[in-house]
Amino acid sequence: MSILVQTDACVGAGQCALVAPDVFDQDDNGIVLLLEPDPEGADLAAATRAVRLCPARAIALSTA
Amino acid sequence: MTIPAECPFHSRSLPGDGTPLAPSPQLAAWREAGAFVPLDFQDGHEGLVATRYEAAVAVLQDPRFSMRPSRMPVGPPAHGEEGKAESAAVPLEAPGELDASGQASDELNLLNLDGDEHAKLRRAVTARFSVRQARAREPWIRTMVAEQIAALRERGPVVDLWRDYAMPISARTHCHVLGIPEHHYERFVALFVEESTAQQKYDFIRALLEERADSPGEDVITDLLQNPELDRVEVEALLRLLMGAGRDSVAYLIATASVALLTNPEQLAILRAEPEQLRPAVEEFMRAGAMFVTLFARTALEDVEIEGTHIPAGTSVSVSPVAANRDPGHWGERPEEFDVTRDAFGHLGFGYGIHGCIGQQVARVEIREAITALLESFPELALVDAEQLTPQPFAHPVAVYEAGTVTVRLEAAA
Repeated sequence: MSILVQTDACVGAGQCALVAPDVFDQDDNGIVLLLEPDPEGADLAAATRAVRLCPARAIALSTA
Repeated sequence: MTIPAECPFHSRSLPGDGTPLAPSPQLAAWREAGAFVPLDFQDGHEGLVATRYEAAVAVLQDPRFSMRPSRMPVGPPAHGEEGKAESAAVPLEAPGELDASGQASDELNLLNLDGDEHAKLRRAVTARFSVRQARAREPWIRTMVAEQIAALRERGPVVDLWRDYAMPISARTHCHVLGIPEHHYERFVALFVEESTAQQKYDFIRALLEERADSPGEDVITDLLQNPELDRVEVEALLRLLMGAGRDSVAYLIATASVALLTNPEQLAILRAEPEQLRPAVEEFMRAGAMFVTLFARTALEDVEIEGTHIPAGTSVSVSPVAANRDPGHWGERPEEFDVTRDAFGHLGFGYGIHGCIGQQVARVEIREAITALLESFPELALVDAEQLTPQPFAHPVAVYEAGTVTVRLEAAA
């Protein structure tokens, strides 16, 4: 499982950095920053939650 | 399904009954009737309101819904029940002339914009509202909250939690993050918490920009002044929205969370025993005590199909965060219960989608620190009375619940 981020779509709500802080951060402009593109275990569970919570659909899980 | 022309079940206007923690039963009836139900808007047009969680989220995330034309969240009919019409008619903004530059700024309200136009202005201010930035503000917020606790003790033993605690915490943080110097605090409150004209607000913003031009800091105003992509009309538009946006919403949440805890002693006991539960509990405060009965209505730019409902192009669609936050289809059994151990992330208390609250990470810190300090400082805190326990008129013309006065006793009576 890999994480895909679309920085163009990000609105800086920060939900991802809040619920999955080991996978996502925000850059100096508040835009999503991917720390761990291939999370495992608890990080994967947290990242999955972040994908569901993102209000701008700017992050996704890819099985490819 | 198609929308029935005549809703056979219920009134088509927004209910004026209900309270923040016990919303009108009509919202639940609407939710049962459909994901979208017909709504008569206050300005006379007809549209829909999304009542279920999945439908609400779908509308707020879908770029096929536009913020134009600008439509205020609908309030109850002006000819409401006896005695209510007059108080419901108090406007948020005093009427008055507005100069040309102010009118140009008003046109650029982020809540009127879509797509790239919106993205450009929103991105100009996201930097100060990240999770990291909110964490960096924690020590300042904690110190300020401690000062407000000291002020409460001085005023006690009986205080109004809204006026004496929640409002100053919200307004002072607002000033701190935006970059409004402390000597303007009283003026800021008079203009943006109490009532003023649009012109008075712009005059304040312009004077402030002059003052801050030579004194940069770690704040939003500095970022805006240093942003080469923004002109002055855009900067003033953003500041007007940001100064008004937290007008009383964080204070409302602090007050309403206090009422929720003081009227649910078993929930209060959980947080007193396990203070670390307060972080996730903030999400439940937001879910169970959401302020917006309906959001600013969107308009479908084309025919849209959502949750089996066909929404024709041009249809005005509002979303009810209060209804969606209690949808049993999403929240499971007992969505009406206030339960601080619930996983309430994903609630619509901050709105949702690209227009969702930009200050939500700072708001989370404010609410958490305010409630933590209140519980730690006053082990015998008790509710005397709260206006919000009985239905209050909406702040016309916006359909939001009001915090009202929240009278508490800080110490047990001697």
